[in-house]
Amino acid sequence: MTREYLVCEIDELPIGGRIVVRVRNREIGVFNVGGKYYALPNVCIHQNGPLCLGAVSGTLNASLETEWKLEWSHEGDILVCPWHSMEYNITTGESLPFRNRQLPTFDVLVHDGRIFVRM
Amino acid sequence: MPDTDSTLRGPISKKLKEFTVVDMDVHIHETPAALAPYCEMPWRKSLEHLSTVPQRYLDIPGFSPNLSVYPSFPDSGGDRRSTVSSASQMRQDLDSLGIDIGVLFPDALLSHASIKNTDYAVALARAYNRWMVEEWLDSDFSLKGAILAPHHDPHAAAGEIMRYAGHANVVAIYLPTSCVDPLYGHRRYDPIYNAAQDTGLPVTFHSVGAIHPVFPFNLQGFETGFANHIISHPFSLISNLVSLMETGVPVRFPNLRIVFTEGGIGWVPWIMLRMDKEYQERRRDIPFLKDRPSTYVKKMYFATQPIEEPEHMADMATFISLFDGEDSVVFASDWPHHDFDHPNKVLQIPVEDKVLRKIMGGNAIRLLNLNESVT
Repeated sequence: MTREYLVCEIDELPIGGRIVVRVRNREIGVFNVGGKYYALPNVCIHQNGPLCLGAVSGTLNASLETEWKLEWSHEGDILVCPWHSMEYNITTGESLPFRNRQLPTFDVLVHDGRIFVRM
Repeated sequence: MPDTDSTLRGPISKKLKEFTVVDMDVHIHETPAALAPYCEMPWRKSLEHLSTVPQRYLDIPGFSPNLSVYPSFPDSGGDRRSTVSSASQMRQDLDSLGIDIGVLFPDALLSHASIKNTDYAVALARAYNRWMVEEWLDSDFSLKGAILAPHHDPHAAAGEIMRYAGHANVVAIYLPTSCVDPLYGHRRYDPIYNAAQDTGLPVTFHSVGAIHPVFPFNLQGFETGFANHIISHPFSLISNLVSLMETGVPVRFPNLRIVFTEGGIGWVPWIMLRMDKEYQERRRDIPFLKDRPSTYVKKMYFATQPIEEPEHMADMATFISLFDGEDSVVFASDWPHHDFDHPNKVLQIPVEDKVLRKIMGGNAIRLLNLNESVT
């Protein structure tokens, strides 16, 4: 059965911010990306590193559209694990290097100026 | 925020708690300032000068030689570096990783073989050895050390080995492996192997991503860290292993024990089978071998880091079985470097617990003559 758990007050999580909380014996990172909230587990799928303590960043891409030139993109959307630099898109939980694997994500809700995660 | 000190190292699994874990490769941070008091003159002057210069003259740290497209590590001071600067810090770190015993290797002097001045290279090796023994091994932190043997002067290297072989916590010899020229099979290195054999200390070939434009490294041909790091480590080890074989080191020094670190283990079956294939056609090139090269490879030791991570870790059990690695694969973390392996990853290889116990500690205890019982 899912329930809602208090994460923090809205003021404590400004745009670009992140907070790591323990909910039902799991560590969850909650992020504010451009005014929207996202929640991810604090465990990297690679070697179980503390993912949500890593840097929030953009990333490099290159494609036919960029004429194969390197392009910086997704600024603020990308989380980089502090152990071995595995990259994830915070907004989807997708792993960038391992396209067939992704993190579970959790719903985040706001009531009365407070942020909750549903688990 | 959770307590980052404990979370940064991750949870300790039940097996990790139970098993005796010996780590064949952890790194200590030797700075010019730390080594200077241990270095003989006039070379001490070089270290003293380097100690006071925050950025090396005409060097452009942060700009070259590589792209720096990843953010820095937490608490790294602004790059992807993490360092250990004292024996007590190393003990604390290894405890949080579930590692009982660690074998120390340097940081910057991983590239020791690239130094061109022989006398300076020997002085640096001597200073590092004095410093490591006095400041890291003469303490009660279950830290063991590998003596840096300067390849530039094999007689001086043998002297270092003999000087420290009696120390209770000196358990191996470190041979800097990237950039070495000539390769380690050359007969000029025989004094090192004689000293190793006489003292019973294994020689440990440890690679690094040093850029050196000679065969077989050819790293000047690549433009990314991706390529450099893939090629530099295993190719250093592969080329030196083949060199040892072509001059018959394992035959000429039958009691010499040989270890390879920091190339993973996936390359071992490939090069072993390739050498066997050539041997049937070219045995007369190396008539001193008494059997196929694989016979000798199977007696060598291979450290796990960076352990390959196929989707199914069972594939690693197959790799290990191809070179009878049950008794010769030794765990290594490479702590605290950017590509370290947590011991839990190696524990994911689906083999029997008795085999895992050997890989995590038992094989290293035998290899390094450690006075420990295996649990």
